[in-house]
Amino acid sequence: MNRVAGRLMRSPEGVAGFCLLVLLAAMALAAPLLFPGDPLVIVGRPLTAPFTDPALPLGTDRLGRDVAAGLMHGARTSLLVGLATALVALAAGALVGTVAGLAGGLVDEALMRVVDAFQIVPGFLLALAFVSVTGASLPVIILAIALGAWTGPARLVRAEVLSIRERDYVASARVIGMHPAEIALREVLPNALPPVLALTAVIVATAVLVEAALSFLGLGDPNVVTWGSMIAEGRNVLRTAPHLSIVPGLGLVATVLGVYLLGEGLADAMAGREARG
Amino acid sequence: MAGLLISRRNLLLGAGGVLATSGLPLHMAWAEEAPRGGRLVVAADSEPRTLNPAIVASNGVFFIASKVIEPLAEAMMDGEGGLAPRLATSWEGSEDGLSITFKLREGVTWHDGAPFTSADVAFSAMEVWKPLQNLGRVVFANLDTVETPDAHTANFRFSAPTPIQLIRNALPVVTSVLPKHLYEGTDIAANPANKAPVGTGPFKFAEHRPGEYYRLTRNDAYWGEGLPKLDEIIFRVLPDRAAAASALEAGEIQLAAFSQVPLVDLERIANVPGLKVMTEGYEALTYQLVVEINHRNEILADRKVRQALSHAIDRDFVVDTVFLGYAQAATGPVPQNAPQFYNPDVKPYSFDIERANRLLDDAGYPRGEDGKRFSLRLLPAPFFSETRQFGDYLRQALGKVGIDVTLVNNDTPAHLKAVYTDHDFDISVGSPVFRGDPAISTTILVQSGIPDGVPFSNQGGYANAELDTIIDQAAETIDTEARTALYNDFQRIVVEDLPLINVAEWGFTTVARDTVLNVGNNPRWPVSNWADTALAS
Repeated sequence: MNRVAGRLMRSPEGVAGFCLLVLLAAMALAAPLLFPGDPLVIVGRPLTAPFTDPALPLGTDRLGRDVAAGLMHGARTSLLVGLATALVALAAGALVGTVAGLAGGLVDEALMRVVDAFQIVPGFLLALAFVSVTGASLPVIILAIALGAWTGPARLVRAEVLSIRERDYVASARVIGMHPAEIALREVLPNALPPVLALTAVIVATAVLVEAALSFLGLGDPNVVTWGSMIAEGRNVLRTAPHLSIVPGLGLVATVLGVYLLGEGLADAMAGREARG
Repeated sequence: MAGLLISRRNLLLGAGGVLATSGLPLHMAWAEEAPRGGRLVVAADSEPRTLNPAIVASNGVFFIASKVIEPLAEAMMDGEGGLAPRLATSWEGSEDGLSITFKLREGVTWHDGAPFTSADVAFSAMEVWKPLQNLGRVVFANLDTVETPDAHTANFRFSAPTPIQLIRNALPVVTSVLPKHLYEGTDIAANPANKAPVGTGPFKFAEHRPGEYYRLTRNDAYWGEGLPKLDEIIFRVLPDRAAAASALEAGEIQLAAFSQVPLVDLERIANVPGLKVMTEGYEALTYQLVVEINHRNEILADRKVRQALSHAIDRDFVVDTVFLGYAQAATGPVPQNAPQFYNPDVKPYSFDIERANRLLDDAGYPRGEDGKRFSLRLLPAPFFSETRQFGDYLRQALGKVGIDVTLVNNDTPAHLKAVYTDHDFDISVGSPVFRGDPAISTTILVQSGIPDGVPFSNQGGYANAELDTIIDQAAETIDTEARTALYNDFQRIVVEDLPLINVAEWGFTTVARDTVLNVGNNPRWPVSNWADTALAS
């Protein structure tokens, strides 16, 4: 593990991604301390330009809400959605993949057809349909995005399991009479997971973007501030107050870029490759 | 009703004739000298599923079809009763309120050459307005027969006294006349003329290219002398609101009505040389921003709580920030630009947080340890960006007096179902229309006994016997003064008891090139016939 961390810290992508994410995480954690209370509260004159009022460094939106508070609290929502979605997708994917890989036969066939069914529907449409039917709240949105994201890990885990279950240590576990569930959880899954973790970066980045897109379309949770809803609000005044869209847009870019770079660095480090270039 | 739910514009239902408050715009004086000829290109933000205004009396349909199909009378800025004659030249009600006689214009022909007669009016009234039209069902509910003693007289007979005031106010909206010879004996709702209308208006329907444009051409046989001025009108389909502003700047279109240019862009657009921003022409098309209340919720059933809500709303802030000044703070259920009915002596609700807090304390809902009194679910209507924004504001405003509000956003069909069918809300933000007479679409907002599922009606379970009596009485009161007095009481009680909270009332804006003449010169201008609209060379 230390070796991996060391390699990660030597790759420029890894370092850049790590720094960006630490910064965003700090923003998310500091939000309730720096801007206590509801970030949607009306605090000033509507459409105050940024850098004109020291109390409102990034200005205010059309209703007079603090853009800086929105940016910080939005980081919380975005990171929360990203991480929670990845967690749900990985858990569901790992479970289905392991069962399918170990059980084989009909169970495998059936589960893989279910995976196919989910994979042929574009993830965004699936989330859109799910949210518009059930109504928007943060847990629903996380579930909706995970619905389109769990199939990747499921396929990957199944492939890993198929190769691992033929290994000698699995055979010996079987010989000493371990319960199949124990074999699956103790012996197979831990060894099948590392390659799947590399997929996490992609899932997190996608989840952040899908959540922003849902909010942009007005299908996000209207009771929390998100970057997507801030951009959607700002779009109406794009010609007169572009900063309202640009500020949360930069937040999104930073998050997705950070996650992607860290994921890239991590994948390289785990593969034992030295940083390229 | 399902057909009305398709596009936002279809929700912009029509309004009746109202005496306008503002004077004549200056350029009216040039009406006679306005040059002839030219092609006017206009932005259209939706393509209505039907172009038959006799069935769907909504602004989305009128916007295009009113140039082709004419009503009996049109609203007018000033003039007797606020009406300008169109297909009828005069109208008179009997003393007992049981009949109204229309004298019809002579020498008018349909676009296909057939003569226009009283048979067309009788057919439209009995076969279309009364049974099929969204608003005509209410206005002509008691219409029994239409007698046609000669080709240019139509005598409407009612089974119960019907106020002439109501009919007069409704004329511009509910009386689009259809050609009997094309509709008789067919399935009226499926007639091909609903897509390619034939009328008596100043323009003939030429073609519709879906997704591209509608084209109307000059009716050379129009009855108005020297009218119309234009040779052609093109309605360019531009569903994206931002696109309309750019198209105007680029000179691709010459006019965008119904606030198709977003309010926030108006200040910038107003400074573009050659473009003008106008608010005239919407005086009889007033939309109302209201907070609808579910009285089944026992907290909200308490009048003190509703009054507290009303005191917690800063109406001036809403007008200035949500509507950027293009609106007016409301005092009651009848807008101020309807002087025929508006009652200025109603109890005002000042923005007073202390008072709101006190009322809530008195009602028995003290603040809890977390500063909250109780929680409400708020459903803002998705019809306009303003209704949504007001929802965001209302959540904050009520939070200040200790009411915890959870916003629930829905798309249009889901919102209509949740509020008007399932009653699955505590408070909601709505945008009803005042259509020139409270009886057309305003009293229904507070009247009890309305079946579930009727949109834009009292679905909050509110019942007030006193109000119901006044509404029923007014519906049968012939005397204009007595009827107006009843509606004054109606306003007083609504404001006092707050079955719903009126927050603001707004019209729309038109952005046009300077070269377009005679814009906004009647109180329903965008949905009138544009016969005198012209292009300066």
